[in-house]
Amino acid sequence: MEVDNIFSPIDIAISGLQAQGKQMEVISSNVANARTGDAGNGEPYRRLEAAFKSDEDMGGVRVDKILADMSDFLRVFDPGNPHADEEGYIAMPNVNLPVEMMNLNIATRVYQANAAVLKRYQQMVENTLELLR
Amino acid sequence: MVNLNANVSGVSNAINGFWKPGSVQPMANPDSFGMPKVGGSDAKKADFADAVKAVKDYISKVDDLQGSSDMSIKDLLSGRNEDILSVVSAVAKADMGFKLLVGVRNQLIEAYKQTMNMQL
Repeated sequence: MEVDNIFSPIDIAISGLQAQGKQMEVISSNVANARTGDAGNGEPYRRLEAAFKSDEDMGGVRVDKILADMSDFLRVFDPGNPHADEEGYIAMPNVNLPVEMMNLNIATRVYQANAAVLKRYQQMVENTLELLR
Repeated sequence: MVNLNANVSGVSNAINGFWKPGSVQPMANPDSFGMPKVGGSDAKKADFADAVKAVKDYISKVDDLQGSSDMSIKDLLSGRNEDILSVVSAVAKADMGFKLLVGVRNQLIEAYKQTMNMQL
């Protein structure tokens, strides 16, 4: 076995941690902008979603693209709002907070799982080195 | 009683099925691991000096790992790098490499001592 090879589980677990960190970033952006009526381009904030991609055989994972969710904006009846249209509706971001909460839970669990893999692998290597003594 | 026996044999069947050696993929080259061949003529005999030299080479590798680990910690603390995970990765690698080095070194020193204490 090559010396470099014993480090590849570390690299893979770290790539999983980094990808889930990025996912957290995307989720926090979605939650922070859940009520942003103007995202700078004249329309409300569009929900973002991270798309993961695996590296070549037995590699890690990385965030390939951050895609915008093109589903319809939420229409809220708010006639007093200065941005309201003639029927009294305003457009609000297509962020669904319960969905974001679920994604946040999933991201947290996957992060924990990757950290557990890293820790277990370190223990495995230590156990192996115990055999030398 | 019959039930229990049936259960036990079921479990042992499952275990046999799982651990059956045939279900494991054969290694590409069975000679590349396991016991070293005694008196093998194809490979040059490794002596103690070679082992020490290999450890010396490995020390420089471990030193590189430690260097990059120290560097990433410094970068993190000075604010140049905000990625904690890359620091974790570098530190884990350096730690692992160093532990392997210490294990091999202890074993070599032990072998040297045993040789030196041999009664002539």
